[in-house]
Amino acid sequence: MEFTVSKTDLVRELNLSQGVVEKKTTIPILSNVLLEASADRITLTATDLELGIRCSCPAKVKKQGSGTIPAKRLLDYVRLLPDADVDIKIQENHWASLVCGRSRTRIAGISRDSFPELPEMPEELAQIPVSVLAAMISKTIFSISAEESRFTLNGGLLLLKSTGLVMVATDGHRLAMVEADFPLPSISTTYRALLPRKAMAEILKLSNDSGADAMLRFSGDENHLFFKIGERLLLSRRMTGNFPDYERVLPKEHPHFVSLDRDELRGAIERVSQFADERSRAIRVRFVSGEVQIHSSLSETGESEEALTSDYTGETVQIGFNAGYMLDFLRAVGEKQVSFHFRDANSAGEMRPVAAEGAAVNYQYRYVVMPMRI
Amino acid sequence: MLVYREDVCETSQGVLRVRSYTQRTLSAAGCQTLKTYFHIDMDAFFVSVEELFDPVLKGKPVVVGGRPNQRGVVSAASYAARKFGVHSAMPLRTAYRLCPQAIFVDGHLDRYRDYSSRVFRLLKTFSPQVDMASIDEAYMDVTGTERLHGPPLKAAHLLHERVKRETELNCSIGVAAARMVAKVASDQAKPNGVLWIVPGQEARFLAPLDVRKIPGVGKVSEKNLAALGIRKVGDLGRLDERFLAERFGQWGLALAGKARGLDAGGWFDHEVGDENDPKSISHEHTFNEDTADSSVLEATLAHLAEKVGRRLREHKVFARTIQLKLRYTDFSTITRAHSLDHGTQLDHEIFSAARDLMRENRKPGSTIRLLGVHASSLEQDEGQMSLLAEPITERWRKALSAMDQIRDKFGESSVSLASGLTGRFRERVHEALPPDVGDAKRRSED
Repeated sequence: MEFTVSKTDLVRELNLSQGVVEKKTTIPILSNVLLEASADRITLTATDLELGIRCSCPAKVKKQGSGTIPAKRLLDYVRLLPDADVDIKIQENHWASLVCGRSRTRIAGISRDSFPELPEMPEELAQIPVSVLAAMISKTIFSISAEESRFTLNGGLLLLKSTGLVMVATDGHRLAMVEADFPLPSISTTYRALLPRKAMAEILKLSNDSGADAMLRFSGDENHLFFKIGERLLLSRRMTGNFPDYERVLPKEHPHFVSLDRDELRGAIERVSQFADERSRAIRVRFVSGEVQIHSSLSETGESEEALTSDYTGETVQIGFNAGYMLDFLRAVGEKQVSFHFRDANSAGEMRPVAAEGAAVNYQYRYVVMPMRI
Repeated sequence: MLVYREDVCETSQGVLRVRSYTQRTLSAAGCQTLKTYFHIDMDAFFVSVEELFDPVLKGKPVVVGGRPNQRGVVSAASYAARKFGVHSAMPLRTAYRLCPQAIFVDGHLDRYRDYSSRVFRLLKTFSPQVDMASIDEAYMDVTGTERLHGPPLKAAHLLHERVKRETELNCSIGVAAARMVAKVASDQAKPNGVLWIVPGQEARFLAPLDVRKIPGVGKVSEKNLAALGIRKVGDLGRLDERFLAERFGQWGLALAGKARGLDAGGWFDHEVGDENDPKSISHEHTFNEDTADSSVLEATLAHLAEKVGRRLREHKVFARTIQLKLRYTDFSTITRAHSLDHGTQLDHEIFSAARDLMRENRKPGSTIRLLGVHASSLEQDEGQMSLLAEPITERWRKALSAMDQIRDKFGESSVSLASGLTGRFRERVHEALPPDVGDAKRRSED
């Protein structure tokens, strides 16, 4: 195999494979990227057996063929080259030689024979605007459980309905749900898939690199999910197990709510939580007539309190919360104004964005947080 | 500053008059008054309680802990049995070999707990500053009670008689200006005696005793000290403190202090009556016969988890770390811990964490000698509530609280988780823990 490719193109596509290649693997081939040269393009493929990514870019192909090269080493080296064309040739002994200007390098590769075969993308199920899916992911991904033993919570739930998309993530303490409304005519019965966190993170990365109104072509088979943006294909193993019945957990109604400025609330929590226990990050939120008071104290270190004016007129309610959970939402939400819904110190609280006046609302964002007993 | 004091005490042996000069130390904060501590140690506690229930046992060699042909260890031995060399923590079979004519009885932990709490309540009426160090011993701070109870020795006799009158049990009391010395004194006073170490005389009292008598010196440290030619407490006093500190670290420094009759190191750093909550809570069980049967193992684990949960609720603490201890037939032991994402005191959560650890870590098919469940990272608050499990958690909370009330009324074995039913075993505790057992363990036995 022999081809010439622009350094910039190669670096851009290699970058996308970095999140997928296995870093600490016992299977050496998984650290490599598969390069395939056809008529006028090269295709780059990387996988860790959970995720796979396939990208491509134009190239002047002298001789078609394929080979694998350690992905990180290749990127680390090519990145340092001047912006020019790079000649890459893979020899019979699987070594790759790279020539760029007066730089000449040889990198040891591995035969492509042991590189895992990635499944082909089946017929497309739906087309989704990339920006919509990316926004849904960034509003939910932080709620995914980091605890590996709770494997059904190690990913997000994606629902495709004829009327729109739903994405839900929870770690058992809080739950984030986004519902985006737009017609998906190709969907007749609700399609349900559990998406690993890593796949969600990769979709976010791909979306950063695609145009504002790019479309994502979605598909799935029994074991895999496929996301295709332009010429780039991300595929993920489908998670098994039952995602909890999230609708049962969503509070039906809250007797009280307050409306607050997102940045003021965020600033207050950030400051006050400096005096919260490092591990539990517990703060107290007190709703009193006309005010929301946020308080935290550490007996040996100090204490801090802030008050925000609010339109609240109900009885005084004090609830303990994990400051980190509240900040996660406040950092993800786009609207300037948020509402906080609650009942008492032992019931789930809920945060939602408040749409600016006159803004068209075509999505619903709910963030349910369980209190702390403190 | 030297202070003259005279103590007069009327005892059955006549009038005792003690005159002494004591050194009062001036601390930076001002004048420090001399402390007076009692160490109350019940004599052959388990055996004495058994005797109350079965007077036939009186005066005979009695071994509490199980049948002579059972695996297990002696929980307690009567003084008559001790004459044959039987002592607590000795294997039952060895005890039988030494003293075949002894009467072997099963222990009744609920009876001992009951009597232990009776003693505790009685002690509390004498001074508010009481610490049960284990099921059968207590420290008491009687500083400043002279107007109420008289001088130390007289007060000790008063208490000694009151314990006998109200519980029919014998105890020994050590009196000293340091708890460590009081503990050694009560041991020297046994059986059924009272010994007061006059302030200033601590080092002289301790010097002729074996180093092993000092709390905190166990079999291993005794050997290490013997290697340096240190056998008596007095030998320690002749050594340079810095040498001990270099050789044994903090423990060595504390030991030097103890040899001079000071409270130092570990548990002795706390004041009597201080509410120091446990750092960890654990229960373990040695099988009568090693087993590889997973259902037996898991049932035992469930039972241990229940006991840990009960104690967590008793202390009103929540554990974030659950540890499993596995000892194989060849005595090799592993411990594996799991950190939960929230604090718990619920039996089923403790059990499932311990069970998962066992399923992941036990060598398949291996036979197990001992199982233990250990809860640590204890917190005062439950902390983060669960979104998905809260309704279930709430029901468990109520059910377990009801179970605790039933147990308080009808005894520990009156109610149990179904999964733990077949994992029941006879409870075993030891009358006095060896001095080198950790404080958490010691405190956890009360």
